[in-house]
Order: sequence, then C-alpha cells, then structure tokens
Amino acid sequence: MATSAAARGTLFALRRKIAKIEGTPADTLSPDEVGMASDGIVLREGGSPLRHPALTESLIATGDADFDAALGGGVPRAALTEIHGAEMRDAGVVTGFALGLCAAAMKAVPQSLPLLWIAPAENNREAGFPYAPGLLELFGISPGSLLTCETPKLADALWVAEEAARLSALGAVLLELRGNPQRVDLTATRRLHFRARDAGRPVFLLRQSARAEPTAAPLRLSISPAPAGMRRTVAGPLSGSIGPPAFMVEIGKSRTARSGSFELEWNSHERSFRKRGPEIPGSVVPVPVHRRHLAPASRPLLAGDTSFAAGAADRQPAREERTADRRPRRAG
Amino acid sequence: MGIADARAMHPAIEIVEADPAADRRLLEGLADWCDRYTPLVAIDGEDGLYLDISGCSHLFGGEEKMLDDLLARLSEQGFRTRAGIASTAGTAWAAARFSGAAIIAPGEEAVFLAGLPLAALRLDGTVCAALESVGLRSVGAILEAPRAPLARRFGRMPVTRLDQALGRVEEAVSPRLPVAALSVERNLAEPINRMEDIEELVFMLAVTARGSLETRGEGARLLELALFRVDGVVSRVAVGTSRPMREPHLIRRLFHEKLSATEIDPGYGFDLVRLSVRESARFDARQGDLVATRTGDEEGLALFADRVGARLGRQTIRRPVLAESHVPERAMTTVAFADAPAVEHAAPSLDLGERQVPEAVERPIRLFGRPEPTEASAEGPEGPPFSFRWRRTLYRVARAEGPERIAPEWWRAPAEERTRDYYRVEDTRGRRFWLCREGLYDGSPVMPRWYVHGLFA
Repeated sequence: MATSAAARGTLFALRRKIAKIEGTPADTLSPDEVGMASDGIVLREGGSPLRHPALTESLIATGDADFDAALGGGVPRAALTEIHGAEMRDAGVVTGFALGLCAAAMKAVPQSLPLLWIAPAENNREAGFPYAPGLLELFGISPGSLLTCETPKLADALWVAEEAARLSALGAVLLELRGNPQRVDLTATRRLHFRARDAGRPVFLLRQSARAEPTAAPLRLSISPAPAGMRRTVAGPLSGSIGPPAFMVEIGKSRTARSGSFELEWNSHERSFRKRGPEIPGSVVPVPVHRRHLAPASRPLLAGDTSFAAGAADRQPAREERTADRRPRRAG
Repeated sequence: MGIADARAMHPAIEIVEADPAADRRLLEGLADWCDRYTPLVAIDGEDGLYLDISGCSHLFGGEEKMLDDLLARLSEQGFRTRAGIASTAGTAWAAARFSGAAIIAPGEEAVFLAGLPLAALRLDGTVCAALESVGLRSVGAILEAPRAPLARRFGRMPVTRLDQALGRVEEAVSPRLPVAALSVERNLAEPINRMEDIEELVFMLAVTARGSLETRGEGARLLELALFRVDGVVSRVAVGTSRPMREPHLIRRLFHEKLSATEIDPGYGFDLVRLSVRESARFDARQGDLVATRTGDEEGLALFADRVGARLGRQTIRRPVLAESHVPERAMTTVAFADAPAVEHAAPSLDLGERQVPEAVERPIRLFGRPEPTEASAEGPEGPPFSFRWRRTLYRVARAEGPERIAPEWWRAPAEERTRDYYRVEDTRGRRFWLCREGLYDGSPVMPRWYVHGLFA
C-alpha cells in the first residue's frame, strides 16, 4: 500500500508541523492509540491527541447526549470556555447556564472544591449579586463552596482570574465580564486557556452583552433565553406554571466545528442538562378514579390558581374557568 | 505685636498665617521618622517628642552617639532641634529645653534641676507666677522648701512635677503606635530604591523573623513593613494573612503584590527597612498527607486569597453565609475569606440544606443590591403583572407564579418596611424575573410600588 503509506507520511509530517507551531513535542502515537470519538473525531489537548482514558475524564458531560456529541463528548475540563449572552437583560439566563456547567464540572470531582466567581463591581451592580440561597437550591452550590471576588476594575478581575486559573484548589473559575473590552483579546484568552490547561480545571468566561470575536478558547457557546417548561406534577404538567429553567444554546466555536442550536433545560436533581422536550399532556402515573383528592403538588400555593381554588388538582380547568391573567394577551 | 507694627520695624518681613494642623502633621511625620531609634515615641504638646530609648542606645553606640546622630540627621533635614537625655521624662524635658544636648546621668537630676528656672518643671504660667511672686524663682528654691505648705498654698502641681522630674513618681509616656510583638530591621549604609531590592530585603528579614516565630510557636497574621526614606518620610505597608504564616518566600510574595499595587515614592532611597509582626497567632505545624494533596490545596487557596487581599484589599474575596431570615436581602450576607472560619470543603452541604428556605420556594440566582423600581400593570389590584417597564424596555409577561407574600420582620424596629408580594414571571422571550409589589391596597395613602428584585436562571 504505497499510496496509503505516503498519505500517512504526509499526515505525520503535517502533524509534526502543527506540533511545532503549537510548541509541543510531536506525537508519535499510532492512530488506534489516539483518542478517537465514535464519529472519527480526534480530540486534541495542547497539541497532543488524547488517549482513551483521558477522553472521558477530561470532558464534562452536560447530560444531553446530542449536545455532548455535537461538542465531541462534552465541555473540555482543562480549558477556557466562553459563554456569551447577547444582551445584558439576558444576564439571568446566561449566568444560569454558566453555573449549570460549573455545577456539572464540580459534580464530577470527588472532593468538593470551591467555585470562584470573579466579576468587576459594575457587573454585579448591573446584573445583580450572586444570591446563595438560589444557587444552593438550583445548582447545589453550597455557600461553603462558593467564593466571590468583586474587583474595582476590569484589569484587576483579569489578574485575579489568571492567578486563580492556575490553582488546582478551585473546582472551577467563573470570570464574568461585560461587553467587548479591548483588554480581553486573543492574548488574554490564551493566557487564561493555557493556565486552565496546566491546572486541569475549567475556566468559564462569561461575557454579558458581547459579540463574538477571536478567542483562544476551544469552545464558545451563545446563550439566549428560552421559555421554560411546565412544572411536572403527578397529575401531569401544570399549565401556567414556570418549570425548570430553559436555555437556547448555540455552538459558536468548537473543536469539532459542528454548529447547531439546542434547547436545553436544567435538571436540578441530577445536576445536569437535558433536552427540553415537548410537554406531554397527561399524568405520569395513572390517577386513581375512586379518589378525588390527590396530594397537592410540591410547590407554593398560587393565588388565582384555579386548580387549587377548585380544590381538584386532577382535572384541567376549562377555558372559561381560568383567571384573567392566563388568557392570551391581545396585541398592543 | 500686630502685623502693622512688625511691618513698620521690618518692612521686608513675610507674613505667613499659622497653620496648627500642618504643624501637627509635621510633628507626626517627625515622630514616624523617630521610630528608627525606638518604637516608643510619644508626642509632647505642640513642639516636642518623647523617645523612650531604654535598651535601644547600644544599637547606636551609646547615648552620646545616638544623640549626635539624631541631631545631625535632623539638622540635615533642616530642623533646628534641641535634645536631652535623662532617666525621667521631666528631667529630659528640662534638659532639652534649658540646656541643650545634655545627658543627665541617673541620680544627678536634682543637681541639674537646681540651677534652672521654675518653667523647667513644666508648670502652668499661673502657678509659676504665684511661686515667683513669693520669691521662689528657681527649682533649687523649692527643692529644699517644706512640701506641705507648698502644696497647701500652690496646689499639688509643683510637688508632683518635682517628684516626676526626680523620679520619685512614675510618669507614663504613652507611645503613638502599638509596639509590635516582633520586629526585624536592617540599617543600610547605602539607600536602596528599587522595589526588587526591597523585596529581597523583606525576604532576608523574614528569614530572621522565622526563627523567632518558630521559637514562640507562632505565625504572623498581620505584617507591617516600614520603609524609612533618607529625607525623613516613613511609608508603612501592611499585609494580612488568612492563616498564620512564617514562610519567608510566601511573605515575600505577599509583599510583592502589595508593593506593586501601592504607590510608594522611593525618592532618594530608603536607608532603614523594618518588618514587624503586628498580630500573630498559634501556628500548628501539620503532618502532611503522604498521598493526598488536600492540605496543599487549602494552603494554596489561602495564599491566593492573601495575595489578592494584599493587592486589592482584604475584603475582595468573600464567602457567602446564609442567615436565618425570610427577607430575601437578609437571607444572605458575605464575610471576607480571611475572616471566615476555615470551612471543611469536604463536608457535604446537607446540614446547610436542612435549615434552608422551605422546599419548593424558588429563589433567584442573582439579586440586585437594591430593588429596581419598575412600572408594572396588573389586571387586578392584587393580581400578577401582565407587563412591566424595566430599564426603559417594556416586557410582556407570558406566565406568572405567585404571589409569595413576605412580611417585614416585626421583631426589628418598626421601620417603613411594607409587606411585599413576590411574583416569579417569565416574559414572552423566556427571561425570568423576580418582581415584587411593595405595599398593599389597604387604603393607606402610599400606593403600592413595583420592583424588579432579582433574576432567575
């Protein structure tokens, strides 16, 4: 197989060249040793392909199989990941997605190392301060494993992030910035990425109201809000309720170069993402016909909730029974 | 004499208004500078300084050399100073003001004071005048006088002052700055002004300090570096540590951050550098684990927090703490990482979860520092909003959950706090907000107001 050998020779020459550019020793692994995902994607970490055991360890599985496959197995653990939001008013959703990734990353590590959340002061004023009760309840991030760092200036935030990225004592680092400051360029992201790679810890760069620009991060995700699903009760989806948070995730840049958009929702029990599927009407378990009163759903009683007002949670209220606030709005 | 009279006598005279505050600052600067001789420096009135040099003079080659050195250095700086050394504060005061560069040996106070006027006893003008009116014009005159009539006629002051000057009564001179438990300093023959050199010097001083700290079984919690500039300005920088520390290279790294963040003008250089341990705590040497790197991790984190603290302030890295309150903004506070007790990261968060807000009461992930006023429209007075205007943008509510009524805490002082109804709303695009209506439609003159208080994921 002369042609094949020649092709392999060319391939290895190219690889050596790439390795030289990237400043890492040329890999001498045979293709079967190289980490190949099922669809023939070569995963590289710092220029050298990953071996099989590392393949699973070095990726954070988000929980949704399709999304993970599109990312080539998951979000890289030892790397910088950019998470973008288009507008400041989406801050809640974008932060939620980033914290979901942090929680997923921290879940995989056996000992619970803290998360460091770095933000310039203006960001916290604009988008709100991290609120520990909410974080504990939704993401399982206890106050003991959260450190916040509020810096007066952007430059200070970057400095803290760079210093923190090289620590192995932190479970994850979340750097929150706003807009596209000049200082956060290719060089700055490369510095963060390399430090994260060396420490083996994820660094998430959360950029509110920013547009995409060249970055050294291997992965960039754009997050936009998506309507949440309904609360699931024993008697089926509860109409008019706001269920687990949902996100519209678009892959802007990834190693696999497969773009796509996914509608995910956060599962706070499993601490993972899942696909936001269509609401399946009807109950999860058969409702006993002989018993009229079910145990009330585990949620606060809602004033004006007809299902409670009527005292019958096991039937859907008729259209005319609904309170005025549930009626579809007229335009204008 | 008025200004006009003075001008008439010397037409070229320059008039400068008195500025007591600036004089005081200058005196304090001088007191700082005098720290190089002794840590016990006290300010005396408007124009004097007391230096307690007990046990310090040998460092300068004796009292005489120390006095000469002090006077020479001050004279180089452009001050006209008088100084005296004595065993009591009172006699030293008299020696400085009435004789000049005198060193009074212990036991010779009475002989020295006898020839001086009464003012040398630090007496009030009125007492002085009263004594002089009866012919007692020098200290010698009242030294031998019977004490009881003296005290009866002129009050206790002359006797007390005399006793203080002669050392019969203890007199406390209160130093300006607390004395550090441990300090290490280095006098430099040639002033240095490069920050790298200073850091190197900090390292060398810290190596010396480590020995003493090890002997005491302590580690430093607060370190202060005093830099004495050639021209008399003293700069002090302090760094705190979140756990007791005595490793010289770590101390050096902390000061590296601090010195690069603070503006220190080296001028013509520093000729004395002192590292003092202001606060210390028990240092527990711990046995390292053979396999795990847990302790190393925690120490790494503490050092990182200290370095950030040295550069940006100790309050920069904070840890949230849950508080027992149902009012959202009071349910969480933050404490500085350095002040927080070491939390075992390995401990599961279950115990924290138990005393949490009841299950299924959802809380936002971001809370605004103060609720942002918004204009909301609701269909009914007590109903959820169907649209609201926040930061100049109109949002239409697609779904709303609530209300969750949160009443103010009655056990606090009855402030103007009002009952709040919280709604969890989602707009048509899928953004989730935490809105609240403050106040009730109960006929009170103040109408309820709407706020955006937080953001949900």
